[in-house]
Amino acid sequence: MPRKPTRHHRLLPVQPLTFSPFARSVARVATAYLVKHYLRDAPLKSAGDEFKEKLEKVDRQSESSEDEEFDGVVQADFAFFDPKPDDFHGVKTLLQSYLDNKQWDLSGFVDLILGQTTVGTVVKLEDDEDNAVFSVITALNLGRYKDHKCIAELKEFLLNISHEKDKIGNLRSLLGDKAQNVGLLVSQRVVNLPPELLPHLYDALFDEVSWATEDEPTEDMRKSFHFKFYIVVSKIYKRKNANQKRPSTTDKDEALIYIKPEEEILHKLSMWSFLFPLQTQQVATHELTGIVMAVKAENISSFQQQLHTLINES
Amino acid sequence: MATRLMFENSCEVGVFSKLTNAYCLVAIGGSESFYSTFEAELADVIPVVKTSIAGTRIIGRLCAGNKNGLILPHTTTDQELQHLRNTLPDQVVVQRVDERLSALGNCIACNDHVALTHTDLDRETEELIADVLGVEVFRQTIAGNILVGSYCAFSNRGGLVHPHTSIEDLDELSTLLQVPLVAGTVNRGSEVIAAGMTVNDWTAFCGADTTATELSVIESVFKLRDAQPTAIVDEMRKSLIDSYV
Repeated sequence: MPRKPTRHHRLLPVQPLTFSPFARSVARVATAYLVKHYLRDAPLKSAGDEFKEKLEKVDRQSESSEDEEFDGVVQADFAFFDPKPDDFHGVKTLLQSYLDNKQWDLSGFVDLILGQTTVGTVVKLEDDEDNAVFSVITALNLGRYKDHKCIAELKEFLLNISHEKDKIGNLRSLLGDKAQNVGLLVSQRVVNLPPELLPHLYDALFDEVSWATEDEPTEDMRKSFHFKFYIVVSKIYKRKNANQKRPSTTDKDEALIYIKPEEEILHKLSMWSFLFPLQTQQVATHELTGIVMAVKAENISSFQQQLHTLINES
Repeated sequence: MATRLMFENSCEVGVFSKLTNAYCLVAIGGSESFYSTFEAELADVIPVVKTSIAGTRIIGRLCAGNKNGLILPHTTTDQELQHLRNTLPDQVVVQRVDERLSALGNCIACNDHVALTHTDLDRETEELIADVLGVEVFRQTIAGNILVGSYCAFSNRGGLVHPHTSIEDLDELSTLLQVPLVAGTVNRGSEVIAAGMTVNDWTAFCGADTTATELSVIESVFKLRDAQPTAIVDEMRKSLIDSYV
């Protein structure tokens, strides 16, 4: 088969695998050309608009070719939706490994998320027959749902996996007496979701939280969205042998690699955090570890700003 | 009776197990509760065998079998083949087949008398299926899907097919298979029937997400309930009639 002439303007695939500063700079180089010519930002709707924002499709020049080879260019029109019972299977698939491989009431947890239609967003394609869920984000009040089996199991899991004695006291109080003011920030997505969506996704979530404090029907429900703290449970890559002194040539090898970019910011802003071991398989140089972070609600606006800067510059 | 269970947080029990009238295969790994649920139901009647196929746990989707035999893909290792030959009853013929479509569980759906297969299956494989499993083989599609092994599950007493199967297709399949069929779902609306459940003539295992409605449909179409229809009517009559005048 004759070789296709190499097209010099086609650079590396845009999406960085990970979000360490090094990966970002690589991605920046790769996207510089494409971004200048093809990326169109979505016009932001006004603050009072309660409908979901739609991100304009990221137009990439699709190269016409005689054969059917997939050249890695996809047009996608993402839209944000309120969680609906129909999204059960999509959301459940995204949250399969939320608590590592512990057998817990995941279905109940997903039902909780889908039941809370006022706060929470599901990212799907516009007019998709498959109803595929690409991302889910929500904030669940741990006190309001404390009687649910899934929340009880989640609390038990978190208390069991924390081995650092100083953090466990903090964790216990957040899960116990302070639970009424604690929101579990659940955010999960497919790996290759365009990062341009993230600032809008988080803005939408925190906007909904503040609207809910005014719009919910009962006083209790309104109060339940006055979060003072957010807890985030997630996974990151930690370099094995992190204690070894490495020569400067291998500086690019980061100690912690965040799968989701916003977690780096959240980690910096967090009051405390701890890592926990996972039972799943490991990559060669880095170890997949679990992380639990607690962030004060007052730091959230700073988080949103930093996320905007982070995504818009990369 | 139909039982609900999970394999390591996944409700796709038909992927990790294979149930027939003569034996039951269960994947290795996962918690012991998966294996013990099968043991509790089946131990005295048929052997429950832990195995892997081609080193994977998705055994339900890789093999096809009934009480007469078991057909394995070419990716099965020699040790696995030997292990299965040793642990399964002697009347069960265990055969490895050289077929391009190696996910045999997705391509073949069978009971002890009839098999439905993927339309592109090799002629030799079709003959082997007829030979080893002792069945009549029909190439079919289900609701336009060629993966017949995934979208339907049937036993000698009844069958459940993809929810979008038309009435005409349902009648045609029912005539071919000679069992009553119903179009339905499992695991809270999942269309991949055979991945969500596994069934034989007297018991079925479904994913934990299966709703009560789905479970009752399964129990009625596969005739898993012990009571005969007349007995149910008698019981109802007793509760309906308050007093005899």
